[in-house]
Amino acid sequence: MTTLVLDDVTKRFGGVVAAEALRLEVPPGRITGLIGPNGAGKTTVVNLITGMLPLTSGAIRFGEQELTHAAAHEVGRAGVARTFQNIRLLPEASVLANVMIGFHRHERASLAASVLGLPEARHETRALREEAMALLERFGMQRYAEHPAGALSYGHQRRVEMMRALATRPKLLLLDEPVAGMNDVEAGELGTLFRSLAAEGMAVLLIEHNVRFVTSICAYVYVLDGGRLIAEGPPNKIVADPAVIAAYLGA
Amino acid sequence: MIEFFIAYRPVFDIALLHAGLAYSQYIVLRAGAFSVAVPGLAAIGAYAAAILAMRHGLHPLAAVLTGSLLGMAVSLVLALPLARLRGVYQAIASLAFVQIVLSLNLFAQDLTGGAMGLTGIPKLVHTTELAIALVVVLYVMFAIDATRAGRAFDAIRQDEAVAASLGISVTGYQMLAFAVSGAIAGLFGALEAFHGYALEPNQFGFGLLITVLTYVVFGGRRTVLGPLVGTAILVALPELARPLQDNRLLVYGLLMMAVIAFMPQGVYDTLKAAWHRRRMARGASP
Repeated sequence: MTTLVLDDVTKRFGGVVAAEALRLEVPPGRITGLIGPNGAGKTTVVNLITGMLPLTSGAIRFGEQELTHAAAHEVGRAGVARTFQNIRLLPEASVLANVMIGFHRHERASLAASVLGLPEARHETRALREEAMALLERFGMQRYAEHPAGALSYGHQRRVEMMRALATRPKLLLLDEPVAGMNDVEAGELGTLFRSLAAEGMAVLLIEHNVRFVTSICAYVYVLDGGRLIAEGPPNKIVADPAVIAAYLGA
Repeated sequence: MIEFFIAYRPVFDIALLHAGLAYSQYIVLRAGAFSVAVPGLAAIGAYAAAILAMRHGLHPLAAVLTGSLLGMAVSLVLALPLARLRGVYQAIASLAFVQIVLSLNLFAQDLTGGAMGLTGIPKLVHTTELAIALVVVLYVMFAIDATRAGRAFDAIRQDEAVAASLGISVTGYQMLAFAVSGAIAGLFGALEAFHGYALEPNQFGFGLLITVLTYVVFGGRRTVLGPLVGTAILVALPELARPLQDNRLLVYGLLMMAVIAFMPQGVYDTLKAAWHRRRMARGASP
Protein backbone atom coordinates (compact mmCIF):
# COMPACT_ATOMS: atom_id res chain seq x y z
CA MET A 1 0.00 0.00 0.00
CA THR A 2 1.59 3.23 -1.16
CA THR A 3 0.69 6.78 -0.26
CA LEU A 4 1.81 9.78 -2.28
CA VAL A 5 2.98 12.67 -0.10
CA LEU A 6 3.74 16.20 -1.24
CA ASP A 7 5.75 17.98 1.42
CA ASP A 8 6.02 21.78 1.14
CA VAL A 9 6.18 21.62 -2.64
CA THR A 10 6.85 24.98 -4.28
CA LYS A 11 7.18 25.83 -7.95
CA ARG A 12 8.08 29.26 -9.27
CA PHE A 13 8.37 30.28 -12.90
CA GLY A 14 10.58 33.34 -12.56
CA GLY A 15 8.53 35.63 -10.35
CA VAL A 16 5.26 33.74 -10.85
CA VAL A 17 4.36 31.34 -8.07
CA ALA A 18 2.55 28.37 -9.61
CA ALA A 19 2.54 26.27 -6.46
CA GLU A 20 3.30 27.50 -2.95
CA ALA A 21 4.20 25.21 -0.03
CA LEU A 22 1.73 22.50 -1.01
CA ARG A 23 1.17 19.69 1.45
CA LEU A 24 -1.08 16.92 0.34
CA GLU A 25 -1.53 13.20 0.69
CA VAL A 26 -3.05 10.71 -1.72
CA PRO A 27 -3.55 7.43 0.14
CA PRO A 28 -4.48 4.14 -1.52
CA GLY A 29 -8.05 2.86 -1.52
CA ARG A 30 -9.84 6.15 -2.00
CA ILE A 31 -10.35 8.94 -4.51
CA THR A 32 -8.72 12.18 -3.51
CA GLY A 33 -9.94 15.32 -5.28
CA LEU A 34 -7.98 18.38 -6.29
CA ILE A 35 -10.20 21.22 -7.42
CA GLY A 36 -9.78 24.87 -8.14
CA PRO A 37 -10.79 27.51 -10.67
CA ASN A 38 -9.06 27.78 -14.04
CA GLY A 39 -5.42 28.81 -13.63
CA ALA A 40 -5.29 27.66 -10.01
CA GLY A 41 -2.28 25.46 -10.75
CA LYS A 42 -3.94 22.02 -10.87
CA THR A 43 -2.14 20.73 -13.94
CA THR A 44 1.14 22.15 -12.60
CA VAL A 45 0.69 19.87 -9.58
CA VAL A 46 0.28 16.85 -11.89
CA ASN A 47 3.36 17.86 -13.87
CA LEU A 48 5.38 18.25 -10.66
CA ILE A 49 4.34 14.82 -9.39
CA THR A 50 5.09 13.12 -12.71
CA GLY A 51 8.56 14.65 -13.04
CA MET A 52 7.66 16.66 -16.11
CA LEU A 53 8.54 19.85 -14.23
CA PRO A 54 11.33 20.19 -11.66
CA LEU A 55 10.36 21.45 -8.19
CA THR A 56 11.74 24.75 -6.91
CA SER A 57 11.71 23.35 -3.36
CA GLY A 58 10.01 20.73 -1.24
CA ALA A 59 9.83 16.96 -1.51
CA ILE A 60 7.65 14.29 -3.12
CA ARG A 61 7.55 10.76 -1.73
CA PHE A 62 5.66 7.74 -2.95
CA GLY A 63 5.63 5.16 -0.17
CA GLU A 64 9.30 4.42 0.46
CA GLN A 65 10.38 5.95 -2.84
CA GLU A 66 11.82 9.43 -3.14
CA LEU A 67 10.41 11.06 -6.28
CA THR A 68 11.52 14.65 -5.66
CA HIS A 69 14.14 14.68 -8.39
CA ALA A 70 12.96 11.64 -10.36
CA ALA A 71 12.82 11.88 -14.15
CA ALA A 72 9.46 11.39 -15.85
CA HIS A 73 10.15 7.81 -16.87
CA GLU A 74 11.32 6.91 -13.35
CA VAL A 75 8.03 8.19 -11.92
CA GLY A 76 6.20 6.07 -14.50
CA ARG A 77 8.22 3.01 -13.54
CA ALA A 78 7.44 3.60 -9.86
CA GLY A 79 3.78 2.91 -10.67
CA VAL A 80 2.34 6.36 -11.27
CA ALA A 81 0.09 6.65 -14.33
CA ARG A 82 -1.65 9.72 -15.65
CA THR A 83 -4.17 10.87 -18.20
CA PHE A 84 -3.80 14.22 -19.90
CA GLN A 85 -6.20 17.15 -19.83
CA ASN A 86 -6.00 17.40 -23.63
CA ILE A 87 -6.02 13.71 -24.58
CA ARG A 88 -2.60 12.58 -25.79
CA LEU A 89 -2.64 9.35 -27.74
CA LEU A 90 -0.13 8.00 -30.23
CA PRO A 91 -2.22 9.16 -33.21
CA GLU A 92 -0.57 7.06 -35.95
CA ALA A 93 -0.67 3.87 -33.91
CA SER A 94 -3.64 1.51 -33.71
CA VAL A 95 -5.87 1.44 -30.65
CA LEU A 96 -4.34 -1.91 -29.73
CA ALA A 97 -0.78 -0.52 -30.00
CA ASN A 98 -1.78 2.44 -27.85
CA VAL A 99 -2.94 0.10 -25.10
CA MET A 100 0.00 -2.29 -25.48
CA ILE A 101 2.54 0.47 -24.93
CA GLY A 102 0.98 0.93 -21.47
CA PHE A 103 2.38 -2.46 -20.45
CA HIS A 104 5.92 -1.22 -21.07
CA ARG A 105 7.02 -1.06 -17.45
CA HIS A 106 6.13 -4.72 -16.99
CA GLU A 107 8.07 -5.98 -20.00
CA ARG A 108 10.91 -8.27 -18.97
CA ALA A 109 12.50 -9.32 -22.26
CA SER A 110 15.93 -7.73 -22.58
CA LEU A 111 16.66 -5.17 -25.27
CA ALA A 112 19.17 -7.57 -26.80
CA ALA A 113 16.40 -10.16 -27.05
CA SER A 114 14.23 -7.55 -28.73
CA VAL A 115 16.86 -6.48 -31.29
CA LEU A 116 17.77 -10.10 -32.06
CA GLY A 117 14.12 -11.18 -32.19
CA LEU A 118 14.66 -13.95 -29.63
CA PRO A 119 11.66 -16.12 -28.69
CA GLU A 120 11.34 -14.59 -25.19
CA ALA A 121 10.72 -11.15 -26.70
CA ARG A 122 8.25 -12.49 -29.29
CA HIS A 123 6.33 -14.54 -26.70
CA GLU A 124 6.07 -11.56 -24.41
CA THR A 125 4.66 -9.44 -27.23
CA ARG A 126 2.06 -12.11 -27.98
CA ALA A 127 1.06 -12.32 -24.30
CA LEU A 128 0.74 -8.54 -24.04
CA ARG A 129 -1.38 -8.45 -27.17
CA GLU A 130 -3.83 -10.86 -25.56
CA GLU A 131 -3.86 -8.89 -22.33
CA ALA A 132 -4.49 -5.67 -24.25
CA MET A 133 -7.36 -7.32 -26.17
CA ALA A 134 -8.92 -8.37 -22.85
CA LEU A 135 -8.75 -4.76 -21.69
CA LEU A 136 -10.32 -3.57 -24.95
CA GLU A 137 -13.16 -6.01 -24.44
CA ARG A 138 -13.75 -4.73 -20.91
CA PHE A 139 -14.20 -1.24 -22.35
CA GLY A 140 -16.27 -2.45 -25.31
CA MET A 141 -13.63 -1.30 -27.77
CA GLN A 142 -12.43 -4.59 -29.30
CA ARG A 143 -13.83 -3.83 -32.72
CA TYR A 144 -11.67 -0.71 -32.92
CA ALA A 145 -8.46 -2.63 -32.12
CA GLU A 146 -6.86 -2.08 -35.52
CA HIS A 147 -8.16 1.47 -36.10
CA PRO A 148 -5.68 4.33 -35.91
CA ALA A 149 -6.27 6.02 -32.55
CA GLY A 150 -6.16 9.51 -34.06
CA ALA A 151 -9.29 8.78 -36.15
CA LEU A 152 -11.56 7.90 -33.21
CA SER A 153 -14.28 10.09 -31.73
CA TYR A 154 -13.51 12.14 -28.64
CA GLY A 155 -15.25 9.80 -26.22
CA HIS A 156 -13.48 6.76 -27.64
CA GLN A 157 -10.12 8.53 -27.47
CA ARG A 158 -10.73 9.21 -23.78
CA ARG A 159 -11.38 5.52 -23.30
CA VAL A 160 -8.15 4.56 -25.08
CA GLU A 161 -6.20 6.91 -22.85
CA MET A 162 -7.83 5.39 -19.77
CA MET A 163 -7.04 1.85 -20.97
CA ARG A 164 -3.43 2.82 -21.59
CA ALA A 165 -3.14 4.19 -18.05
CA LEU A 166 -4.70 1.04 -16.58
CA ALA A 167 -2.39 -1.18 -18.67
CA THR A 168 0.52 0.16 -16.60
CA ARG A 169 -1.23 -1.47 -13.58
CA PRO A 170 -0.62 1.70 -11.60
CA LYS A 171 -0.47 2.06 -7.84
CA LEU A 172 -1.40 5.71 -8.26
CA LEU A 173 -3.62 7.06 -11.01
CA LEU A 174 -3.62 10.80 -11.76
CA LEU A 175 -6.68 11.90 -13.69
CA ASP A 176 -6.46 15.38 -15.22
CA GLU A 177 -10.05 16.45 -15.95
CA PRO A 178 -11.13 13.02 -17.21
CA VAL A 179 -14.79 13.93 -17.72
CA ALA A 180 -14.26 17.24 -19.53
CA GLY A 181 -16.62 17.38 -22.49
CA MET A 182 -18.65 14.36 -21.39
CA ASN A 183 -22.36 14.24 -20.67
CA ASP A 184 -23.70 13.21 -17.23
CA VAL A 185 -24.31 9.58 -18.23
CA GLU A 186 -20.77 9.11 -19.55
CA ALA A 187 -19.30 10.92 -16.54
CA GLY A 188 -21.36 8.72 -14.23
CA GLU A 189 -20.00 5.57 -15.91
CA LEU A 190 -16.44 6.76 -15.47
CA GLY A 191 -17.15 7.73 -11.86
CA THR A 192 -18.25 4.15 -11.20
CA LEU A 193 -15.04 2.85 -12.78
CA PHE A 194 -12.88 5.16 -10.63
CA ARG A 195 -14.68 4.06 -7.48
CA SER A 196 -14.11 0.39 -8.29
CA LEU A 197 -10.41 1.04 -8.96
CA ALA A 198 -10.06 2.77 -5.59
CA ALA A 199 -11.96 -0.08 -3.93
CA GLU A 200 -9.36 -2.49 -5.34
CA GLY A 201 -6.68 -0.53 -3.44
CA MET A 202 -5.45 1.98 -6.03
CA ALA A 203 -4.66 5.53 -5.00
CA VAL A 204 -6.56 7.94 -7.25
CA LEU A 205 -6.03 11.68 -7.57
CA LEU A 206 -8.81 13.36 -9.50
CA ILE A 207 -8.15 16.84 -10.85
CA GLU A 208 -11.33 18.64 -11.89
CA HIS A 209 -13.06 21.94 -11.90
CA ASN A 210 -16.48 20.30 -12.09
CA VAL A 211 -17.27 20.58 -8.36
CA ARG A 212 -20.42 18.47 -8.58
CA PHE A 213 -18.56 15.50 -10.07
CA VAL A 214 -15.73 15.74 -7.53
CA THR A 215 -17.97 15.97 -4.50
CA SER A 216 -20.03 13.01 -5.74
CA ILE A 217 -17.13 10.54 -5.87
CA CYS A 218 -14.24 11.85 -3.74
CA ALA A 219 -13.62 10.91 -0.13
CA TYR A 220 -11.36 13.87 0.53
CA VAL A 221 -10.88 17.10 -1.40
CA TYR A 222 -8.12 19.71 -1.62
CA VAL A 223 -8.94 23.15 -3.02
CA LEU A 224 -6.29 25.08 -4.90
CA ASP A 225 -6.42 28.77 -5.77
CA GLY A 226 -3.57 30.88 -7.11
CA GLY A 227 -1.11 28.06 -6.39
CA ARG A 228 -2.08 27.82 -2.72
CA LEU A 229 -4.24 25.30 -0.87
CA ILE A 230 -7.13 27.28 0.54
CA ALA A 231 -9.14 24.40 1.99
CA GLU A 232 -9.16 20.65 2.50
CA GLY A 233 -11.55 18.11 3.97
CA PRO A 234 -14.46 15.84 3.14
CA PRO A 235 -16.66 17.10 0.29
CA ASN A 236 -19.61 18.23 2.41
CA LYS A 237 -17.31 20.46 4.46
CA ILE A 238 -15.62 21.85 1.34
CA VAL A 239 -18.80 22.98 -0.43
CA ALA A 240 -19.80 24.97 2.66
CA ASP A 241 -16.40 26.61 3.12
CA PRO A 242 -16.65 30.39 2.64
CA ALA A 243 -13.12 30.63 1.19
CA VAL A 244 -13.97 28.01 -1.46
CA ILE A 245 -17.23 29.71 -2.38
CA ALA A 246 -15.38 33.03 -2.68
CA ALA A 247 -12.70 31.50 -4.93
CA TYR A 248 -15.27 29.96 -7.25
CA LEU A 249 -17.72 32.85 -7.37
CA GLY A 250 -15.09 35.57 -7.15
CA ALA A 251 -17.08 37.18 -4.34
CA MET B 1 17.47 -13.20 -67.54
CA ILE B 2 21.03 -14.02 -66.52
CA GLU B 3 22.37 -11.63 -69.14
CA PHE B 4 20.12 -8.93 -67.75
CA PHE B 5 21.43 -9.59 -64.28
CA ILE B 6 25.06 -9.47 -65.38
CA ALA B 7 24.50 -6.23 -67.26
CA TYR B 8 22.84 -4.58 -64.31
CA ARG B 9 24.94 -6.13 -61.58
CA PRO B 10 26.77 -2.90 -60.68
CA VAL B 11 23.44 -1.13 -60.29
CA PHE B 12 22.11 -3.98 -58.19
CA ASP B 13 25.18 -3.81 -55.92
CA ILE B 14 24.71 -0.10 -55.43
CA ALA B 15 21.07 -0.70 -54.54
CA LEU B 16 22.10 -3.23 -51.89
CA LEU B 17 24.74 -0.90 -50.42
CA HIS B 18 22.41 2.06 -50.32
CA ALA B 19 19.54 0.01 -48.90
CA GLY B 20 21.78 -0.94 -45.99
CA LEU B 21 22.68 2.69 -45.35
CA ALA B 22 19.01 3.64 -45.72
CA TYR B 23 18.19 1.31 -42.78
CA SER B 24 20.89 3.00 -40.71
CA GLN B 25 19.03 6.28 -41.36
CA TYR B 26 15.59 4.71 -40.90
CA ILE B 27 16.18 3.35 -37.42
CA VAL B 28 17.09 6.72 -35.87
CA LEU B 29 14.16 8.42 -37.60
CA ARG B 30 11.85 5.71 -36.32
CA ALA B 31 13.05 6.36 -32.75
CA GLY B 32 12.19 10.05 -33.12
CA ALA B 33 15.75 11.33 -33.57
CA PHE B 34 16.45 13.53 -36.59
CA SER B 35 20.12 12.66 -36.96
CA VAL B 36 21.69 12.47 -40.43
CA ALA B 37 25.09 11.17 -39.33
CA VAL B 38 25.00 8.05 -41.55
CA PRO B 39 27.68 9.11 -44.10
CA GLY B 40 30.12 10.04 -41.32
CA LEU B 41 29.60 6.73 -39.57
CA ALA B 42 29.91 4.82 -42.85
CA ALA B 43 33.18 6.65 -43.60
CA ILE B 44 34.59 5.58 -40.23
CA GLY B 45 33.65 1.96 -40.90
CA ALA B 46 35.03 2.08 -44.45
CA TYR B 47 38.40 3.67 -43.64
CA ALA B 48 38.92 1.62 -40.50
CA ALA B 49 38.26 -1.65 -42.31
CA ALA B 50 40.44 -0.76 -45.31
CA ILE B 51 43.37 0.51 -43.21
CA LEU B 52 43.27 -2.42 -40.80
CA ALA B 53 43.19 -4.97 -43.60
CA MET B 54 45.73 -3.34 -45.91
CA ARG B 55 48.33 -1.98 -43.48
CA HIS B 56 47.93 -4.18 -40.43
CA GLY B 57 47.13 -7.45 -42.09
CA LEU B 58 43.86 -7.97 -40.27
CA HIS B 59 41.63 -10.65 -41.82
CA PRO B 60 39.07 -8.83 -44.01
CA LEU B 61 36.11 -10.35 -42.16
CA ALA B 62 37.55 -9.17 -38.83
CA ALA B 63 38.21 -5.78 -40.43
CA VAL B 64 34.58 -5.50 -41.53
CA LEU B 65 33.31 -6.43 -38.08
CA THR B 66 35.72 -3.94 -36.48
CA GLY B 67 34.42 -1.26 -38.85
CA SER B 68 30.89 -2.04 -37.75
CA LEU B 69 31.77 -1.96 -34.05
CA LEU B 70 33.66 1.29 -34.49
CA GLY B 71 30.64 2.80 -36.24
CA MET B 72 28.51 1.73 -33.30
CA ALA B 73 30.94 3.16 -30.73
CA VAL B 74 31.24 6.53 -32.48
CA SER B 75 27.47 6.69 -32.93
CA LEU B 76 26.95 6.12 -29.20
CA VAL B 77 29.38 8.92 -28.36
CA LEU B 78 27.64 11.17 -30.88
CA ALA B 79 24.28 10.34 -29.30
CA LEU B 80 25.28 11.99 -26.02
CA PRO B 81 25.35 15.62 -27.26
CA LEU B 82 22.51 14.95 -29.74
CA ALA B 83 20.26 13.74 -26.89
CA ARG B 84 20.11 17.34 -25.67
CA LEU B 85 18.84 18.59 -29.03
CA ARG B 86 15.59 18.10 -30.93
CA GLY B 87 14.37 18.25 -34.50
CA VAL B 88 16.18 20.46 -36.95
CA TYR B 89 18.91 21.33 -34.40
CA GLN B 90 19.73 17.65 -34.15
CA ALA B 91 19.93 17.49 -37.94
CA ILE B 92 22.31 20.45 -38.10
CA ALA B 93 24.56 19.08 -35.35
CA SER B 94 24.76 15.67 -37.03
CA LEU B 95 25.46 17.33 -40.37
CA ALA B 96 28.39 19.07 -38.68
CA PHE B 97 29.60 15.64 -37.57
CA VAL B 98 29.56 14.43 -41.20
CA GLN B 99 31.61 17.49 -42.21
CA ILE B 100 34.10 16.91 -39.39
CA VAL B 101 34.69 13.30 -40.47
CA LEU B 102 35.11 14.50 -44.05
CA SER B 103 37.67 17.13 -43.03
CA LEU B 104 39.59 14.69 -40.86
CA ASN B 105 39.78 12.27 -43.76
CA LEU B 106 41.19 15.06 -45.93
CA PHE B 107 43.72 16.29 -43.37
CA ALA B 108 44.99 13.03 -41.90
CA GLN B 109 46.87 12.33 -45.11
CA ASP B 110 49.30 9.80 -43.67
CA LEU B 111 46.50 7.64 -42.40
CA THR B 112 43.74 8.10 -44.97
CA GLY B 113 45.58 9.22 -48.09
CA GLY B 114 43.91 12.63 -47.90
CA ALA B 115 42.14 13.86 -51.03
CA MET B 116 43.75 11.08 -53.07
CA GLY B 117 42.10 8.52 -50.86
CA LEU B 118 43.02 4.88 -50.46
CA THR B 119 43.55 2.77 -53.54
CA GLY B 120 44.30 -0.84 -54.27
CA ILE B 121 41.85 -2.22 -51.74
CA PRO B 122 41.24 -5.87 -52.63
CA LYS B 123 37.77 -6.50 -54.05
CA LEU B 124 36.40 -9.19 -51.77
CA VAL B 125 32.77 -8.12 -51.50
CA HIS B 126 30.38 -9.05 -54.29
CA THR B 127 26.64 -9.18 -54.71
CA THR B 128 26.30 -12.26 -52.49
CA GLU B 129 28.07 -10.73 -49.50
CA LEU B 130 26.06 -7.51 -49.81
CA ALA B 131 22.81 -9.47 -50.05
CA ILE B 132 23.67 -11.52 -46.96
CA ALA B 133 24.44 -8.33 -45.00
CA LEU B 134 21.16 -6.76 -46.09
CA VAL B 135 19.20 -9.87 -45.08
CA VAL B 136 20.79 -9.70 -41.62
CA VAL B 137 19.85 -6.02 -41.34
CA LEU B 138 16.28 -6.74 -42.48
CA TYR B 139 16.00 -9.52 -39.91
CA VAL B 140 17.05 -7.12 -37.13
CA MET B 141 14.63 -4.47 -38.41
CA PHE B 142 11.72 -6.94 -38.39
CA ALA B 143 12.74 -8.21 -34.95
CA ILE B 144 12.75 -4.69 -33.52
CA ASP B 145 9.45 -3.97 -35.28
CA ALA B 146 7.77 -6.97 -33.66
CA THR B 147 9.03 -6.55 -30.10
CA ARG B 148 9.34 -4.04 -27.25
CA ALA B 149 12.04 -1.81 -28.76
CA GLY B 150 9.88 -1.08 -31.82
CA ARG B 151 6.89 -0.20 -29.63
CA ALA B 152 9.05 2.12 -27.51
CA PHE B 153 10.54 3.78 -30.64
CA ASP B 154 7.07 4.42 -32.06
CA ALA B 155 5.84 5.88 -28.79
CA ILE B 156 8.85 8.20 -28.46
CA ARG B 157 8.53 9.39 -32.07
CA GLN B 158 4.87 10.26 -31.67
CA ASP B 159 4.90 11.86 -28.20
CA GLU B 160 7.97 11.94 -25.99
CA ALA B 161 6.11 13.17 -22.90
CA VAL B 162 3.57 10.34 -23.13
CA ALA B 163 6.32 7.78 -23.67
CA ALA B 164 8.17 9.00 -20.58
CA SER B 165 5.00 9.02 -18.48
CA LEU B 166 4.63 5.31 -19.30
CA GLY B 167 8.09 4.56 -17.92
CA ILE B 168 9.95 4.58 -21.25
CA SER B 169 13.45 6.05 -21.00
CA VAL B 170 13.63 8.34 -24.04
CA THR B 171 17.41 8.74 -23.81
CA GLY B 172 17.96 5.03 -23.26
CA TYR B 173 15.96 3.94 -26.30
CA GLN B 174 17.43 6.62 -28.53
CA MET B 175 20.90 5.40 -27.51
CA LEU B 176 19.83 1.94 -28.63
CA ALA B 177 18.69 3.35 -31.98
CA PHE B 178 22.00 5.18 -32.41
CA ALA B 179 23.94 2.01 -31.57
CA VAL B 180 22.04 -0.04 -34.17
CA SER B 181 22.31 2.78 -36.72
CA GLY B 182 26.06 3.12 -36.16
CA ALA B 183 26.65 -0.63 -36.43
CA ILE B 184 24.75 -0.80 -39.74
CA ALA B 185 26.47 2.29 -41.17
CA GLY B 186 29.90 0.98 -40.13
CA LEU B 187 29.12 -2.43 -41.61
CA PHE B 188 28.00 -1.12 -44.99
CA GLY B 189 30.82 1.40 -45.07
CA ALA B 190 33.30 -1.44 -44.55
CA LEU B 191 31.58 -3.54 -47.21
CA GLU B 192 31.80 -0.62 -49.61
CA ALA B 193 35.56 -0.41 -48.94
CA PHE B 194 36.06 -4.02 -50.08
CA HIS B 195 33.62 -3.60 -52.95
CA GLY B 196 34.91 -0.62 -54.87
CA TYR B 197 38.76 -0.94 -54.96
CA ALA B 198 39.19 2.62 -53.65
CA LEU B 199 37.94 5.08 -51.05
CA GLU B 200 37.98 8.85 -51.15
CA PRO B 201 36.58 11.32 -48.60
CA ASN B 202 33.88 12.89 -50.77
CA GLN B 203 32.20 9.53 -51.24
CA PHE B 204 30.83 10.04 -47.72
CA GLY B 205 29.71 13.63 -47.95
CA PHE B 206 26.56 15.65 -48.34
CA GLY B 207 25.58 13.84 -51.54
CA LEU B 208 25.36 10.46 -49.83
CA LEU B 209 23.48 12.03 -46.94
CA ILE B 210 20.79 13.38 -49.27
CA THR B 211 20.65 10.14 -51.25
CA VAL B 212 20.09 7.97 -48.20
CA LEU B 213 17.62 10.35 -46.58
CA THR B 214 15.68 10.56 -49.86
CA TYR B 215 15.38 6.77 -50.13
CA VAL B 216 13.85 6.57 -46.65
CA VAL B 217 11.48 9.51 -47.07
CA PHE B 218 10.48 8.39 -50.57
CA GLY B 219 9.79 4.77 -49.59
CA GLY B 220 8.34 5.29 -46.13
CA ARG B 221 9.86 5.93 -42.73
CA ARG B 222 7.57 3.91 -40.45
CA THR B 223 7.24 0.44 -41.93
CA VAL B 224 10.24 -1.86 -42.24
CA LEU B 225 9.88 -2.32 -45.99
CA GLY B 226 9.57 1.41 -46.77
CA PRO B 227 13.32 2.14 -47.14
CA LEU B 228 13.81 -0.98 -49.30
CA VAL B 229 11.01 0.04 -51.65
CA GLY B 230 12.34 3.61 -51.79
CA THR B 231 15.85 2.44 -52.63
CA ALA B 232 14.64 -0.03 -55.25
CA ILE B 233 12.52 2.54 -57.07
CA LEU B 234 15.04 5.36 -56.97
CA VAL B 235 18.00 3.22 -58.01
CA ALA B 236 16.05 1.54 -60.81
CA LEU B 237 14.41 4.69 -62.11
CA PRO B 238 17.42 6.38 -63.74
CA GLU B 239 18.21 3.07 -65.48
CA LEU B 240 14.66 2.63 -66.75
CA ALA B 241 14.56 6.26 -67.85
CA ARG B 242 17.73 5.90 -69.92
CA PRO B 243 15.88 6.41 -73.25
CA LEU B 244 14.92 9.90 -72.03
CA GLN B 245 18.63 10.79 -72.06
CA ASP B 246 19.14 14.34 -70.82
CA ASN B 247 15.61 14.61 -69.50
CA ARG B 248 16.24 11.92 -66.91
CA LEU B 249 16.95 14.32 -64.08
CA LEU B 250 13.82 16.29 -64.93
CA VAL B 251 11.69 13.15 -64.65
CA TYR B 252 13.43 12.20 -61.42
CA GLY B 253 12.72 15.64 -59.95
CA LEU B 254 9.08 15.65 -61.03
CA LEU B 255 8.52 12.21 -59.56
CA MET B 256 10.04 13.29 -56.23
CA MET B 257 7.76 16.32 -56.11
CA ALA B 258 4.70 14.25 -56.97
CA VAL B 259 5.41 11.70 -54.27
CA ILE B 260 6.07 14.32 -51.62
CA ALA B 261 2.86 16.17 -52.56
CA PHE B 262 0.54 13.17 -52.90
CA MET B 263 2.17 10.49 -50.75
CA PRO B 264 3.75 12.42 -47.89
CA GLN B 265 4.22 9.23 -45.84
CA GLY B 266 6.28 7.69 -48.64
CA VAL B 267 5.21 5.33 -51.40
CA TYR B 268 5.07 2.12 -49.42
CA ASP B 269 3.66 3.52 -46.17
CA THR B 270 0.91 5.43 -47.98
CA LEU B 271 -0.17 2.40 -50.02
CA LYS B 272 -0.11 0.18 -46.95
CA ALA B 273 -2.23 2.65 -44.96
CA ALA B 274 -4.73 2.92 -47.83
CA TRP B 275 -5.02 -0.85 -48.06
CA HIS B 276 -5.49 -1.05 -44.27
CA ARG B 277 -8.26 1.58 -44.38
CA ARG B 278 -10.09 -0.35 -47.12
CA ARG B 279 -9.89 -3.52 -45.07
CA MET B 280 -11.19 -1.68 -41.98
CA ALA B 281 -14.05 -0.14 -43.95
CA ARG B 282 -15.08 -3.57 -45.24
CA GLY B 283 -14.87 -5.03 -41.73
CA ALA B 284 -17.05 -2.27 -40.30
CA SER B 285 -19.94 -2.87 -42.71
CA PRO B 286 -20.72 -6.60 -42.62
